[in-house]
Amino acid sequence: MTIENGCELPDDLYYFVERSQMTWIRVDGGEVRIGLTDPAQTRAGKILHVRVKAPGTQRERGKPIATVESGKWAGPVIAPLTGEVVESNTAVEQDPGLLNTDPYGKGWIVRMRMANPAEVAELLHGPAALARFREILTRDNIRCLRCQG
Amino acid sequence: MSTSEAAARPPDNAGKKILMIMTTGPEEPDKTYAPFYTAALMAAMEIDTTMYFLMHAPELLVKGRAETLPLKKGGNLKMFIDMAQENGVKFFACSESCRDLCEIPEGGLRDGVKMVGSATLADLALEADSVISF
Repeated sequence: MTIENGCELPDDLYYFVERSQMTWIRVDGGEVRIGLTDPAQTRAGKILHVRVKAPGTQRERGKPIATVESGKWAGPVIAPLTGEVVESNTAVEQDPGLLNTDPYGKGWIVRMRMANPAEVAELLHGPAALARFREILTRDNIRCLRCQG
Repeated sequence: MSTSEAAARPPDNAGKKILMIMTTGPEEPDKTYAPFYTAALMAAMEIDTTMYFLMHAPELLVKGRAETLPLKKGGNLKMFIDMAQENGVKFFACSESCRDLCEIPEGGLRDGVKMVGSATLADLALEADSVISF
């Protein structure tokens, strides 16, 4: 686990960092689990509503898999890989604050079956991911806090 | 997905069209951010979202103007307009309102705004699945 500006960035994860997106991807065989990173939940603020695409939804890379509302930010969570949603986390729809309090655990958003595992090579990982996050955390002056309650 | 889970899930409205008609201008800043926020969210839901600005509303889109409009909730209007555009909301401004009412010089609006006539408003309203007015 690396910590930058108070933000937790687990070393074993892959990351998708483009425009407003800062998501994590955990690869498990032909499937991935996706969620918001600690910097992403911090930048959004207290998350009030989440809607996740239903299981069975086919997504091209770059299409939304969920929407998130925080009062100061409303936007999509983009699919970092092409595939099918096999499970959406209904717990975060019922308790959106899980994205703030446990972004890498109970706050996961969807599980997807990859259509093209070669796309994983396009994600950030390891030192390259860390360098990108350092740049964004400095540029946007992000200092992570865990929003409780 | 079980039948009960499918029944409980809200409908997926991706692909539908919404037109938002915006008439409120800088005279009431706190009435302006919610439409941009809502439009941003709708676009994120893959709803084809268009905002049409008339009367004094085009003044919100004048370059540098949104930054001067503080909001009661904190920050200013610019971040909400930026968010809507980043999410893909389309902006149309009534050319008559811009010229005659708001007196906006040519090139005075922020990038990404298309100046159109009132006939376009009729087209947009009739093509939309729903029209919302602010």
